[in-house]
Amino acid sequence: MKETIKPKRGGSRPGAGRKKGSSVYGETTKAIRVPESMVPEVKAMLNQRKQLFENTSAISLPSATPSYIEIPLFSGKVAAGFPSPADDYIEKTLDLNDLLVKKPAATFFVRAEGESMLGAGIHPNDILVVDRSIEAVVGKVVICALNGELTVKRLKSIGKEIVLGAENPAYQDITVQEEVDLVIWGVVTNVIHSL
Amino acid sequence: MLQQEEDQEPQRLIALVDCNDFYVSCERVFRPDLINKPVAVLSNNDGCIVARSQEVKDLGIKMAVPVHQVQHLINRHKVQLFSSNYTLYADISNRVMQCLENYTPRLEIYSIDESFLDLTGICLNNSIAYGQQIKQNVFRTTGIPVCVGMAPTKTLAKLANYAAKKWHKTGGVLDLSNPLRRDKLLHLVPVNEVWGIGLQTTKRLQLMGINTAYELARQPVESIQAQFNIVVARTIMELNGISCLTLDDIPTDKQQIVCSRSFKRRLTTYNEIAEALASFCSRAAEKLRKQDSVAGSISVSIKTNPYNPDEPQYQRSINMQLQQATSDTRQIVRIAKHLLTEIFKRGYRYQKCGVQLGHIHAASIPNQIDLFANNAPNDGTELMNTIDKINNRFPKGITLSATGINTGWQVPVEYLSPHYTTNWNELAIVKCC
Repeated sequence: MKETIKPKRGGSRPGAGRKKGSSVYGETTKAIRVPESMVPEVKAMLNQRKQLFENTSAISLPSATPSYIEIPLFSGKVAAGFPSPADDYIEKTLDLNDLLVKKPAATFFVRAEGESMLGAGIHPNDILVVDRSIEAVVGKVVICALNGELTVKRLKSIGKEIVLGAENPAYQDITVQEEVDLVIWGVVTNVIHSL
Repeated sequence: MLQQEEDQEPQRLIALVDCNDFYVSCERVFRPDLINKPVAVLSNNDGCIVARSQEVKDLGIKMAVPVHQVQHLINRHKVQLFSSNYTLYADISNRVMQCLENYTPRLEIYSIDESFLDLTGICLNNSIAYGQQIKQNVFRTTGIPVCVGMAPTKTLAKLANYAAKKWHKTGGVLDLSNPLRRDKLLHLVPVNEVWGIGLQTTKRLQLMGINTAYELARQPVESIQAQFNIVVARTIMELNGISCLTLDDIPTDKQQIVCSRSFKRRLTTYNEIAEALASFCSRAAEKLRKQDSVAGSISVSIKTNPYNPDEPQYQRSINMQLQQATSDTRQIVRIAKHLLTEIFKRGYRYQKCGVQLGHIHAASIPNQIDLFANNAPNDGTELMNTIDKINNRFPKGITLSATGINTGWQVPVEYLSPHYTTNWNELAIVKCC
């Protein structure tokens, strides 16, 4: 029988050498032969992989100025079994601004006083949503500066004349004389009425 | 090839859009009865006139004049006064700037009522039409009248705006890209109206026989830089259409925060002034935290009324560098009150005090740690943020006890208009009649 003699010096020591998986790729590597013509291609590919690994393994510190991210709320429970078909539909909360305010820079809220516009659904103390950027054409309910006061009227045309109409038989329409300087302040788009 | 491309690059075009009599215009948006009437807006404590309508300017009432000096004119011509309603002005300003953003990819908000727009390559052959469109759209959207000045440099754009406001023939829009038109205007403009030329520089230039913008523009840059400074030298280049000032489209944080007010009545005791000072400190610290900054120095100043020569006069200020920058109201108040004890003298009737925070930098930059101080982590941040949030929802909801409840120093603002755009209870009333 051949006896193996353990050398007293040299040889492998446990735990010595490069750690497994410590290569620049994050896993064990292996030497292979590559056709010479393909060397640049293979090198480029490996390089890419190396960078990918480097980027993902960079040390991340918590941000000093964290920003807040809105996380969408999912409807449907998370079940261990079959996924809920509703998971694909992210629930969105409804925002009244989407409905009432088309152009924030041009939108103002004002409060109505008086009863001349009851027919247009404008009651005393209602809040009116006014968009200044909308063109005031005949038929629109508008805010105009009349004798220095902000006034609500409906723009009408009778014959060739422009009329500021009330929406209540108890009030008179006002025909716009040419010499009167009529300034349209904005167009009423919505009425907010408390019940 | 490269040369050719450079040739094709469109000429730089900068527009300055400036609101006309901004504070007055804001008040008039909701008060059509005040159009064409004399209107003036007063400073923080109703002390001085800080904005005037054209009608008030025509009465010869100057900017920053104390109200009591022109009281007779105010009475005789029924000038409508307003306390400054900064909540309203800030909201309207935001709307104007939002509007302007539609017209350029690069916007520098220069102040509450003016912005630079980079229009390079946007309106090649019809800059005036484009400017008119901006002007009309801003007015239609917000109710604020503006003027538009356009030129290849910021300094010239400022000048173009000045001219557009002054000469109604321009229709409120002026383009100074054409060198002939530019020189024609430079002849007409006094040198002190040039952006960046202050009072002292003007005096020195006038001694040299330079009275108009044109004469300044013709000066050799090197010798002016030698005699004055780089700022004046740059101004000359800019007046000649060579752009030296870039558009800062990223707003810079304030480097100094000042909060100072006059008292309604004269204060004589340390305690009264300390309460007012604490209140100013709270306000300044709030502003500081709003821009996520900390301050590295605090100055406190007090003074008596200089308009009353019969009384003994006293005024002093004192500054302290902090070992650790802070934005904590409690610390700022404590230090400011300490500084006040250093400069306060009995026997004077004080009219004004103020606090100034300096050496401001972003809170995220780590502080130099003081070797000898107790460096326990500054855990005031969260408390302060919470207080700010509460005060945001309920104004003046939480204040330091140091600010006192007996606010004799506080000024009742007499002519404050409603917060039309920011408070549901103060909306403008429209008549259905």
